[in-house]
Amino acid sequence: MATLAGALIMAGAVPAAQAHDPEALTAGHERPELSFGRSEQYDYDPPLPGSYRLPAIKPAPDGRVLDSKERLHQLHALMDGRITVLAFIYTRCSDPRGCPLAISLLYDLLFVARRDPAIGGSLRLMALSFDVENDTPEVLADYAGAAQKDHGAAGELLFLTTRGEAELDPILEAYGQPIGRKLDAADPFGPYTHQLRVFLIDPERRIRNIYSLGFLDPRLVATDIRTLLLERRGQSPGG
Amino acid sequence: MTRTLWTLCGLTLVLALGGSPALADETCQSPYMAKITGQEEYVYVWTLGVQGLGDGSDKLVTVDVRPGSSSYGKVVASTSVGGRHEAHHGGLTDDRRQLWVSGLDTSKIFIFDVAADPGKPKLVKTIDDFEKASGGVVGPHGAYALPGRMLISGLSNNKDHGGRTALVEYSNEGKHIATHWMPTAEDSNGAKIESVADGYGYDARVLPRKNVMLSTSFTGWSNYMMDFGKMLQDADAMKRFGQTAVLWDFHARTPKKVFHVPGAPLEVRWAWGPRNNYAFTTTALTSQLWLIYEDEAGEWQAKAVADIGDPSKIPLPVDISLSADDSLLWIDSFMDGTVRAFDVSDPHQPKQVYEKVIGKQLNMVSQSWDGERLYFTTSLLANWDKKGADNEQFLKAYDWDGTELKHRFSIDFNDAGLGRPHIMRFGAKSLYSN
Repeated sequence: MATLAGALIMAGAVPAAQAHDPEALTAGHERPELSFGRSEQYDYDPPLPGSYRLPAIKPAPDGRVLDSKERLHQLHALMDGRITVLAFIYTRCSDPRGCPLAISLLYDLLFVARRDPAIGGSLRLMALSFDVENDTPEVLADYAGAAQKDHGAAGELLFLTTRGEAELDPILEAYGQPIGRKLDAADPFGPYTHQLRVFLIDPERRIRNIYSLGFLDPRLVATDIRTLLLERRGQSPGG
Repeated sequence: MTRTLWTLCGLTLVLALGGSPALADETCQSPYMAKITGQEEYVYVWTLGVQGLGDGSDKLVTVDVRPGSSSYGKVVASTSVGGRHEAHHGGLTDDRRQLWVSGLDTSKIFIFDVAADPGKPKLVKTIDDFEKASGGVVGPHGAYALPGRMLISGLSNNKDHGGRTALVEYSNEGKHIATHWMPTAEDSNGAKIESVADGYGYDARVLPRKNVMLSTSFTGWSNYMMDFGKMLQDADAMKRFGQTAVLWDFHARTPKKVFHVPGAPLEVRWAWGPRNNYAFTTTALTSQLWLIYEDEAGEWQAKAVADIGDPSKIPLPVDISLSADDSLLWIDSFMDGTVRAFDVSDPHQPKQVYEKVIGKQLNMVSQSWDGERLYFTTSLLANWDKKGADNEQFLKAYDWDGTELKHRFSIDFNDAGLGRPHIMRFGAKSLYSN
């Protein structure tokens, strides 16, 4: 697994610039996320935090999950009064427009959280696998461990799985996260299709935004996180 | 073989197409949903009921378009929703499992499950408190997929039944999330106003990579429910048409600029190309093709770039469809029953390259991803459709070979006792079977 980080960079899961010189990127910025800058895919300046509302979409469903050390948790307990970013992924997905993008977003947010205590102390990042066959706690531990080796303490980013479909399916259903098996189980990009969705959940366990391809801009997600923080302080319009 | 393109873990199919534009869609729909990049299998037609015709109710009609099927070109399912609601537009959710269609008169929204059996959609939910939940919006029009939610553009309001209205967000589960009122001169919500801000609405579509949304403007309940001939004679009514297009900061849902686009700009189509920062719309009353574009200084501008037919004859352009390569724009006009194709390779200088009369009246057009198949329907509004022998109501399918539209099949919705066919959306079993 030593090559995982390199593979993640190749697949776009870890920003190459971040891997090279993260400190240089934040120089002169109050919002570290702005260091990611514009790109062809995200060719705009994000709005100011707190300048807009994030209406509650629906309550964030609960469910029982396993962490990479085989400990059982309730999702709600892990959210623990924090702002949570939850992505549904599977580690066998190598489609650069799929799960690696979601993982990339989580690492980008980790990058921001480590440079801004206002976010770092309030944020929970979670990647929940829907591949119960492959993504055992051991596999997730390797996955997280390899990332930790190259990016420092990865403990703030939780890799989760479930004990089986009986516990997984109600979670997927409740979040509205459809998945399907490809006809070709040997597809080089992985055996599953799924709608790429990442959820922003507030401390009251309400879903406040849903991101998919086209929205996985760490600048926007970090701006949303700041908007929720301002809302808690009574400094934004609220949901 | 039906191919699908998902914005997710399944890139193989994209590569098989040689890297097709990632944000395109087979019928110019939301960029956030799975796409049918091969042969569509079903066409869903949201159809207005006609008193005394069949059961008289609005209904979702499913047509089999699978080549080689024994029921190719035939109606294979029809599900009535009970009553007439002024069936008009609708759209699929981002996961393409539901089709939301709405009624402009009763402001009801009907949600069909199209995933369990794509050949036989099932009505699973009706939203009947849209007006109350939205805070007074009337006439839910488009249903545009966003991640996990739907954006509904309204046409009117319950205070004066005029054109001032809002964009309304619902979760995919059918719960109201938010209402965003259109900017007006009195409440611009921070928008820069070119000339006027009427607060009207019609279509709303997003260009994610620029974080912008463009909305357009039509008219309110008091006009779209009025007899067309009577309205034309009513000078005051004719003043109550939209003349704006609004550019929004999409993420913040705040208006940035209100363009003056006189003559009721209707459908919006963003270009697909990764550097094509522009959209087209057409004005119904002034018969012009408009370009909304980002200039070299990064400012968004709007200008008329072509006439559609002879504007003095008011052909009433209604629906448009842009090819996936941004080269060809199909424009239907209602009064002359004609479809015109414009070469828009240079969006600032479109040139008409083809036209064909499809029928005595014409409204919607939907094209396949590859641009090789086009489908047309006829009904505009129950009280605006032509009368007598001119009131043709059909679905017609054509093949496009690059130079000529060649007829494949027709279904006469009058003879079949179905009603007035309006919006079309495509379905395919392969979206759900893999």
